[in-house]
Amino acid sequence: MTNQTDTAVRESRFSLEAASNYAVIVAFIAVVIFFTFAAPGFMSGENIFNLISNKVVLLAIVALGMTIVIGAGGIDLSVGVSIDLSSMIFIMMIAAGYMGAFAVMGGLGAAFCVGLLNAFLINKLKINPFLATLGVLFIGKSIQQLSTQGGVPIYLTRAEYAAPFDAIARTSLLGIPTPIIILVVCIIGVYLALHRSVFGRYVAALGAQADVARYSGIRVPFHMSIVFISCAVLSGITGILLSSTVRSYVPLAGDAFLLDAIGATFIGTAISAERRPSVLGTLIGVALLAVMRNGLLLIGWNFFWQQVGIGVLVFLVLGLSFGLRKRAE
Amino acid sequence: MTAAAIEMRSINKIFGPVKALDDADLVVEAGTIHGLVGQNGAGKSTIIKILAGIYRRTSGNVSVFGKPLDQITPASIEAEGVHFIHQDRLLVPTATVAEAIFLRNEPRVGPFINYREMNRRASELLKLYFELDLDPRTLISELSTAQQKIVQITRALAHDAKVMVLDEPTAALVSREVESLFSVLRRLKTDGLAIVFISHYMSEILEICDVVTVLRNGTDVGVVDPSEVGIQKIVEMMTNRDTSEMYPRREVEIGAPVMSVRNLTVDGAFEDVSFDIRSGEILGLTGLLGSGDKEVLNTLFGQIKPDAGEIILHDKQQKFGSPVDAVNAGVAKIPEDRRAHGVATGLSVGENMSLASLGQLSTRGFVDRKKEAEVVDGLIRDLGIKTPDRHTLVKNLSGGNQQKVVVGKWLGCNSEISLLDEPTVAVDVGAKVEIYNLMNRLASEGKGLVFVSSDLEEVTEMCDRVLVIYRGKIIGEYKRGEIDADRLLAAASGAVAETERKRA
Amino acid sequence: MTAVEHAPATSRGWFNSKVFAKLAIRLGAFAAFAGIMIYFALTARGFTTTYNMINVVEQSTILGFLAFAMTVVFIGTGTDVQKGGIDLSIAANAGLCAAVYAVMMREGYGNYVAIPAAIGTGMVIGFFNGLAVVTLKIMPLLGTLAVMNIAAGVELTLTENTVVPVQSDLMTVLAFGRFLGISTLAWCLIIGSVLLVWAIHYSKIGLRLYAVGGHIEAARAAGINTGRYVYGAYIFSGFMAGVASILIVSRLSSSTPGTGLMLLPILAAALLGTVFSRRFIPTIGGTLLAALFIGFLANGFQLLGISSYWVSGVQGALILLVVTVTSFAKKH
Repeated sequence: MTNQTDTAVRESRFSLEAASNYAVIVAFIAVVIFFTFAAPGFMSGENIFNLISNKVVLLAIVALGMTIVIGAGGIDLSVGVSIDLSSMIFIMMIAAGYMGAFAVMGGLGAAFCVGLLNAFLINKLKINPFLATLGVLFIGKSIQQLSTQGGVPIYLTRAEYAAPFDAIARTSLLGIPTPIIILVVCIIGVYLALHRSVFGRYVAALGAQADVARYSGIRVPFHMSIVFISCAVLSGITGILLSSTVRSYVPLAGDAFLLDAIGATFIGTAISAERRPSVLGTLIGVALLAVMRNGLLLIGWNFFWQQVGIGVLVFLVLGLSFGLRKRAE
Repeated sequence: MTAAAIEMRSINKIFGPVKALDDADLVVEAGTIHGLVGQNGAGKSTIIKILAGIYRRTSGNVSVFGKPLDQITPASIEAEGVHFIHQDRLLVPTATVAEAIFLRNEPRVGPFINYREMNRRASELLKLYFELDLDPRTLISELSTAQQKIVQITRALAHDAKVMVLDEPTAALVSREVESLFSVLRRLKTDGLAIVFISHYMSEILEICDVVTVLRNGTDVGVVDPSEVGIQKIVEMMTNRDTSEMYPRREVEIGAPVMSVRNLTVDGAFEDVSFDIRSGEILGLTGLLGSGDKEVLNTLFGQIKPDAGEIILHDKQQKFGSPVDAVNAGVAKIPEDRRAHGVATGLSVGENMSLASLGQLSTRGFVDRKKEAEVVDGLIRDLGIKTPDRHTLVKNLSGGNQQKVVVGKWLGCNSEISLLDEPTVAVDVGAKVEIYNLMNRLASEGKGLVFVSSDLEEVTEMCDRVLVIYRGKIIGEYKRGEIDADRLLAAASGAVAETERKRA
Repeated sequence: MTAVEHAPATSRGWFNSKVFAKLAIRLGAFAAFAGIMIYFALTARGFTTTYNMINVVEQSTILGFLAFAMTVVFIGTGTDVQKGGIDLSIAANAGLCAAVYAVMMREGYGNYVAIPAAIGTGMVIGFFNGLAVVTLKIMPLLGTLAVMNIAAGVELTLTENTVVPVQSDLMTVLAFGRFLGISTLAWCLIIGSVLLVWAIHYSKIGLRLYAVGGHIEAARAAGINTGRYVYGAYIFSGFMAGVASILIVSRLSSSTPGTGLMLLPILAAALLGTVFSRRFIPTIGGTLLAALFIGFLANGFQLLGISSYWVSGVQGALILLVVTVTSFAKKH
């Protein structure tokens, strides 16, 4: 039996609760400080610029999509398929000589179809999102293998193809590279949608209790479709950016984003008291993962050790955040 | 003198800033049925959960048959012979009846579970105590509520229970089932078991309990013999106020029909149902479980598509394909299962209350947060919802306040028709009165209300008109003043229909 | 008193139709399995030869063991893959164990050290899953994902993403040995299945594990130490990953990168297995059938000369079909 007084109990509860909300932010700051000292060149403008325009942009856009889906109580394991199919159609259309704008539309269209298929499976066949998108992940793999003779990449490195890629990856506006502008537009768009609009409220209600949303007269299937299609299209944008940067399509390359996107979103939930996904939280999650990977690389860890390091960090951050939370309750 | 079966003394329990139990005592003798009553939040479930080892007490002493218990866990208390029949039917849905009964007590041959022995003993026990012929291989998920209750009690008996704690055991049972449950309890009492019986139904307390402990605000305010002091006195002890003002009156001019239902039929549920709902009117709809009353309500809310008939609202025939259509046409529903369908407990009070009316609180798809805050704060004040502010999560509110949030959600969107499905289930007396007041307020604003409840007293007191449904047909209509609970029960159980049939 | 009473006539009819629908779907699962087998037997040359059949069983052993591990986790934590438990780290864990075993053999430790080390590694990884899910209360999907990353990373650092060849007598016995005309690997599957059927379906531990996964509150109220069972399920899953890793190494005579890719077929087998059970719950027998089904499917495709690129798509479609059918069956 405890001998603590009333107030002592209350104070410790509150500080634990607060600490649990800040665990991720503290971890992020600690990691940044650590690498500033441990890794020469980490804080250089060039490194940070490269980090953002190469790594952060691609992951962040997928993670924003994942944030919408997880916010609505779902999960999308097929973001890799959206990325890949968008990238594949985009590259194939460029190779076939279509105009850049059409190729972009083609790529996004492919991603849209993936989202539509997910929505169909979830709304019409009532399959839960994990399994529905898992099935789509399998099917997407087959589609890519069948269209590329088992996974042969398509490289478009010759100069005649360069124009559309450069227009996307190498231009800038007021000194800001286009990919970063695209990211900012996506952030603002998703922020307004999730945190300022009626749609965002419906998403939160779906995530908290879908039945309540239904009983409140909200068109659940319609909004679920929007959620999954948005996620797929955002992933499709990443696919096109990825292809434009490397001027090629590598089958199944999108799978690499799945776990980081889920990880970033869930790490992000730790900053809100209700453990809800948010745009800010997800961006912090993305930044944490990107900084870890970059910093570990700079201090000379190879890719394999980076993976271990990131796994341990994610485990610790989540453990700290969820564990403190549990103690607080 | 032998030691009491259960002796809990000076129990204190503090949850953060809240003192849930304040020096509460509970002493239960073997061979008695001991009632435990109190309003929601009085500490009934807290004291039981402390005994069950789910919560740890802040201070106080617990002993079972004279043996003091320091640390209690669910496993250790079962080892002392104390068993709990929880309100929410805590059974594994995918287990069979026999598996559920013998969980943690499995008959074995060597390292193997002896399924044949297990099934045999399960059906034996069920027959012995309940005269129930139930295949022990039936899955729990296929059982009725009453059968699940029986399985829980049988599990305790199979474990040689000496003390049995029943939390609201009759909540979902029909009267015949309650009778058979009571006869089993009386028999167990003569076998020398100590039984703790928790119930909201005062008539049951009076009928079955030898002694009653009354809790109020976390303290025991009296231990009485119910047959001596009577229900009235016990309720007064619980609420500390007079019960005569339980059902508030209102004077409302009943106007023109708002909604008309004509020959509505859903195959297999109800047929040929016709009635009008007038503005300012509370229309009761009552029947036995399975009579079709809920299905009528669900059809009016677009959850079930009617096979025939029409719903006329705003002088227009309405086709409700889903609740979305119903809500857009101005129909609101307070669902029976509040936590599953009424409020999203993980969202804040404000987010819940504006959920159904965001269309009016937004411009071009964006939420007008200032307007929303005004409306929500106004409703919180108006309805007297006890919450620190609109940002508090609904799960931190009491049941009654959660129900007010549900009502508030619909007040914000000015629905013409409100469908209320058991709105006062599992809320305490005080909150009930406030919900009745809200119903009256809706009526006085000229709305039409359809009220489904199995508490016949509340139906007779609150409704202007009551329709009785029996086997899917409306068999009677009673106006206020013509009805009392007994006549209603007779009608609902088919007695009236049967006599009329004979006459014809 | 409440005035409620049953309308027995309607509820009885509904109950029967529900039972009927369930029966039809369960038999449907068996019928689909049998139908595909017959189709392959008629069209795929060499499908029905004993050699081919045993070959498929051998190929299914590793998938079967890992799918058993996932099944046990599902049993102990519920099949709601999103809110309940799941062990995403199984495949990566098996890869890590294989790497530990292969590297230790290369360094000359011998089987008596290397095998316990590999299985021990698996169990430690399983313990970390338990730590994440039970003690730290991290969502299983997330906690096991982090553990999966760690396991995969450690595997890569050990092997530097290369093939580590292993030679030993035990490997030869496992890969080529025969007893009563049946290969060692097939025996492993048979013995493993029998032991697990006992542990899960005929021991008190199994029954209680089902209770924990079926309704954790009910299990807790019945006095079961639920945390210990969930920990146990994850550690067992790690143990199975360790055992499977030895079989993987013996079959390939090496530890090879890419074991982590087995996660999806493992999930497919464990989920598919639920349609073979009366209660639509994960069972050892169901998972065994599902693993064999997936094995025969891949084999039949191969014999028919259909591109292996179709395999994952067909598996995906199968998952969707199965889940649609079961959810339909549960509702009606």
